[in-house]
Amino acid sequence: MKNKSIKDVLTSTEMINVYIIVALSMVIGSINSNFLSVATVITLSRAIMVTMIFALGEMLVIVSGGIDVSFPAVACAALFVPIKLMVDNGINNVWFAFGLAIIIGLVFGALNATLTAVVKLPPLIATLGVSSLINGGMLAFFGSKEISNLPKAVDAISQKFLFTYTAPTGATYSLTVLFLIPVILCIGVALMLKYTMLGRGIYAIGGDQNAARIAGFNVVRIKYFVYMFAGAITGLGAMCYCILCRTANPKNLMGSEMMVIAAIVVGGTRISGGHGKVIGTVLGVVLVGLIQNNLIMAGVPAYWQKFVVGLVIVLGTSITSLKAKKIAQSAKV
Amino acid sequence: MKKKNIDGSILTLWIMIAVVLIAMAILKPGTFYKMTNLRSMIFQFPEYGIMALGMMLAMISGGIDLSLVGIANLSGIVAAKIMIGMGGEPVSIAIGIMAALAVGAVCGCFNGFMIGYLKVPAMLVTLCGLQLYTGIGLGITTGPALTGLPDSYKYFANGSIGQIPVVLFIFIAVVAVIYFIMNFTVYGQQVRFMGSNDEAARYSGINNLKVTIMTYMISGILGSISGVLITSHFNSAKADYGSSYTLLTLLIVVLGGIHPDGGRGNVGGVVLSILLLQLVAQAFNILQIDPTGNMKTFVYGALLIIVLCANVLKGKKKKAKK
Repeated sequence: MKNKSIKDVLTSTEMINVYIIVALSMVIGSINSNFLSVATVITLSRAIMVTMIFALGEMLVIVSGGIDVSFPAVACAALFVPIKLMVDNGINNVWFAFGLAIIIGLVFGALNATLTAVVKLPPLIATLGVSSLINGGMLAFFGSKEISNLPKAVDAISQKFLFTYTAPTGATYSLTVLFLIPVILCIGVALMLKYTMLGRGIYAIGGDQNAARIAGFNVVRIKYFVYMFAGAITGLGAMCYCILCRTANPKNLMGSEMMVIAAIVVGGTRISGGHGKVIGTVLGVVLVGLIQNNLIMAGVPAYWQKFVVGLVIVLGTSITSLKAKKIAQSAKV
Repeated sequence: MKKKNIDGSILTLWIMIAVVLIAMAILKPGTFYKMTNLRSMIFQFPEYGIMALGMMLAMISGGIDLSLVGIANLSGIVAAKIMIGMGGEPVSIAIGIMAALAVGAVCGCFNGFMIGYLKVPAMLVTLCGLQLYTGIGLGITTGPALTGLPDSYKYFANGSIGQIPVVLFIFIAVVAVIYFIMNFTVYGQQVRFMGSNDEAARYSGINNLKVTIMTYMISGILGSISGVLITSHFNSAKADYGSSYTLLTLLIVVLGGIHPDGGRGNVGGVVLSILLLQLVAQAFNILQIDPTGNMKTFVYGALLIIVLCANVLKGKKKKAKK
């Protein structure tokens, strides 16, 4: 596969994403000249970083042949419960916040894995149930009031920046230090998927579970890893979101699953499992983020955005499945 | 063997209904067993009950329909827009409702086409269908609820004939039609067959594409009937009414003995499970243990998982016996 033809590279899903991103940027830029600037890059990076973290975990789950719609609920719990405990008990420790968020993610990830891998429930219905369980339970037992006075040590992170850019107009734009988290995670996951046995195993069980089992992969263990890893980084992403917003809101993230699944599917990951790349997901997240955050600059009213995102997914899935259909119908050697 | 299995799940439902009724007779006999309470229950369940029947059809065909709430709101909005635009004459109500049903059918056809022709998984199609239809609704209303519907339109969801609410008749009529379709038509047999094994269905000469489109179209029409009831109930139309119904309908269908893999299940089980969940919801209300509604979300989620696990374990036991 090393000597791919140039035509294959130019028509790959990743490149199509690049074309659309460039075209969209040019359209928005031609309508609103403020768009093409360093400031937009920084704002967009900040806006998509949490989606990026969620998308990485969700992508692993989808590649392994499952789906997880419970991550918004997990994220809400992972950001609200630690902050609530810290505020109520006067704990002021960053490691406690991140540690507990990750542990909450791990626990619910393990629950999802048990339901889908051991009890063998359909992943969508199982995680939908878990989502409602977590969300209802948390709001009923931990309260639903937003906490805006974050512990000082946690809040302080929101003021640590990688660099600051001053626009000619005098306004300053800073990139938060938390942006390193999705960058490191992306590189780590990409390397894992490509070069480790575990990574190849995730593709294998997503492609054909039985074949993977016969080939010697421990399907149940790999699924536990995937769901728990996804849960852990969901917790991590949730805490980042909390710090970026500087409040702990128990409901804000609910409903974000469509955005994330859209980004993944647009990025070329096949929803039926076995296919998907980190680079595609990154491009998908950028594309969806661009649509979500910058269409308003092109004069599209905010209330049409939901529709546009839906349309993007429909087109994305249609192209992916038409391609798959073509491959299935082409002559087999 | 198969017949016995269905009877088993229906028996469980009857027992659970009896448990709730007896528990309420002990805890709050005065408020629960009253005509007003009975009437308030009947006013509530047809909205999501009709939606659940759509979900049932999709699931029997081997898919799922998560876009029902989106279809319901979009068709409600279209109906409201037409009625308000035409000045609220009785004719406009009729045209509005026809338009709503047409919207449901079109949305359903779109779902069915994507699933049957492009072979995109039903779950993904209907999940983004939900986004798409809610998005169109949001675009039409620009956010806030559409109000100022004609007064007589309220009658569907809020009026009654004597002591019996009108919605009950609508619900019974819909159930009867769906029961007839599932048990006495060729399509009903085909959809079951396709749900249990689509490959075998194709080889035996069933046009899978046609059956799939039919299924999601009927499901979409059911969604739009429920949308008409919701707008009539609130006397306004909005893009995000009834957002909790997706999970509720899934729970109803699974509890009613429909197998998530498709092929199995019947209308009776679903109707019983609608009644059971309405009784539970009403019991929560009367006992006042859940003022915010969050507890209900928690219990629904837990119930869904427990029922599914129980079904799997029951299935395993049966296999072991063989």
